[in-house]
Amino acid sequence: MATPTIHQPSATTATPYAGDREVVIRTENLWKIYQMGSEQVAALRGVNLQIYRNEYVAIMGPSGSGKSTLMNLIGCLDSPTRGEYWLSGHLVSALDDDELARIRNQEIGFVFQTFNLLPRTSALHNVELPLIYSGAPPAERTERAMAALQQVDLGSRVHHKPNELSGGQRQRVAIARALVNRPSIILADEPTGNLDSTTSNEIMALLEVLWERGNTIVLVTHEHDIAEHAHRVIHIRDGQVAGDTRTRRGDAVANRPPAPPA
Amino acid sequence: MGIREAIAVALGTLRAHKLRSFLTLLGVIISVCTLVAVVAMVQGVNTYVGSKIARLGSNIFSVSQFSLNEMTNPVRFMRARETNPIIRYQDYQFLRANARLPRAIGAQTQRTGTVKHNGRSLDEVNISGVTPNVLGMSAFQVANGRFLAPTDEQRRAYVAFVGPDIVTHLFGGANPLGRHILVSGQQYEIIGVATAQGDVFGQSQDNFVMIPLRTYQKIYGNQDSITLDVQARGARLLPATMDEMEMLMRVRRHLSWNEKNNFGIIGSDALMTLWHTLTGAIASVMVGVSFVFLVVGGIVIMNIMLAAVTERTQEVGMRKAVGARRSDILWQFLVESAVLSTVGGLIGVLLAYLFTLAAGALTPIPFSLPLGAVVLAVVISTLVGLFFGVYPASKAARLTPIAALHSEV
Repeated sequence: MATPTIHQPSATTATPYAGDREVVIRTENLWKIYQMGSEQVAALRGVNLQIYRNEYVAIMGPSGSGKSTLMNLIGCLDSPTRGEYWLSGHLVSALDDDELARIRNQEIGFVFQTFNLLPRTSALHNVELPLIYSGAPPAERTERAMAALQQVDLGSRVHHKPNELSGGQRQRVAIARALVNRPSIILADEPTGNLDSTTSNEIMALLEVLWERGNTIVLVTHEHDIAEHAHRVIHIRDGQVAGDTRTRRGDAVANRPPAPPA
Repeated sequence: MGIREAIAVALGTLRAHKLRSFLTLLGVIISVCTLVAVVAMVQGVNTYVGSKIARLGSNIFSVSQFSLNEMTNPVRFMRARETNPIIRYQDYQFLRANARLPRAIGAQTQRTGTVKHNGRSLDEVNISGVTPNVLGMSAFQVANGRFLAPTDEQRRAYVAFVGPDIVTHLFGGANPLGRHILVSGQQYEIIGVATAQGDVFGQSQDNFVMIPLRTYQKIYGNQDSITLDVQARGARLLPATMDEMEMLMRVRRHLSWNEKNNFGIIGSDALMTLWHTLTGAIASVMVGVSFVFLVVGGIVIMNIMLAAVTERTQEVGMRKAVGARRSDILWQFLVESAVLSTVGGLIGVLLAYLFTLAAGALTPIPFSLPLGAVVLAVVISTLVGLFFGVYPASKAARLTPIAALHSEV
């Protein structure tokens, strides 16, 4: 396993947040090069990032910017060609398949644009899925899944199947699934892309609540309105970080004392 | 992921695609059904034939022109036809005069012929010339009138003891006693009717006319070999009685010590052995055929599992994203494939069970579901599912989570 060292942000890295808060994500000179036939295409060209515990960050960029590739790497779905990636003190860029599966299970909660729920399975069982893969005993699984569903206000619909739930409710089930293993980060990939604007606002409000309860949220989106819900926006263009700014909401919360851990 | 979750997932998928699963499983269902049904049938028929042979009379064996071994092999049979003389009435008399162990020795010979009465006729009737003492040694019993008597034999009387088929077909069910039938141009008076025995494999057992052996030989000559039915005085004396008959026949035929028997001694165990060889051959062919079905069924399962992997690429991606390892995905699809074909196996067993019920109701054969064959068939179908699931499952396990998640279905 990687060393549990917590890397502090180096002095050379620009960041809108100063201070001694714990770093959850840290990438150093991250490259991803795809082989397209005889040509090599660099999707990421040396990305340096730091994301702290209990931050609410949006990663923005047009399609083709490398935003998705960056999300795949942050989500441990893929390995970088070059560079290092530390997640909660684990050097994950050096891990093999099975170890990455364990990291995804324990450290990352995914929320997808298309929800990706198991269609013929109850909300409860969908939320239990990460616990099944982490080998939790059945009684504990049910208990924790129930708790996660209550956190997203679906305590009364645990036995409904996805086709018996609205789009917003489905996404909330997916969020409960992301929460259930108490991950270091919640990684939401266009979480409102398939929802109407009212439901989108609901989901964004829920993410805000989760942030207030102490979760670290990384949002990947190409929509400005959605990105504005985050407190910090990292712009990606041509495989590099093109900007790192604090949003108005970010300014507002920066002047507030930090939230107590959930 | 534990086995129970994997099985639950597999059963869920099965339920979601009932028709598709059923079609996929046809091969396995048919093959398991055939396998179990054939074994059930062979066992049932063996039991049935065993009981029929046992009913021929206890402790009875026969001495005949050819041994079973010679009768069942064309080459040996052709050779035996040159070497084995026919058994004659004089041989029968010799054995009766010299044998000390048997309780009784009967003799019979037969041919098929046409029986007529009053313008009606019945073909393919078994015409037997018998000695009166075969009554206690055969399966039939007297229903009406009497059996052939020793005096009929001595007088070479034209009297006949007939099976119920004769009564039904020639006399329309009316009492035939004292009336006459015409067999090969000779009139016989009917003196008795046998009880009905029904069919064995569609072959009526009641289609016969029995006349005294001496009368038979007067009409048809003495060139038909006689078969001797010998009854021992008990099961313990059966081997010794068989030995005595063999010895007496060899003496009668003047065979020296290094010559083979030129006659046959056929016990019911030899008949059973022959029967088992026959049904064994049928069974092995059918089992072979059902294995071909099974392989085809396995390939169909592999095909549908490959389709399922493609269809569920996103699901695989999601599972990987929430922490499934390669081995978890491999396991999931393997179990699914195994569960699928096991369910096929179980359906096959169920069908075979219904088949044995139906066959048991429609025939006198006592069918039962052989437990060993059932277990074997289900285990084999599970193994087929596992084997043919390996390739699709490993394909699913190798999917990268990104490709899997971003595929548009």
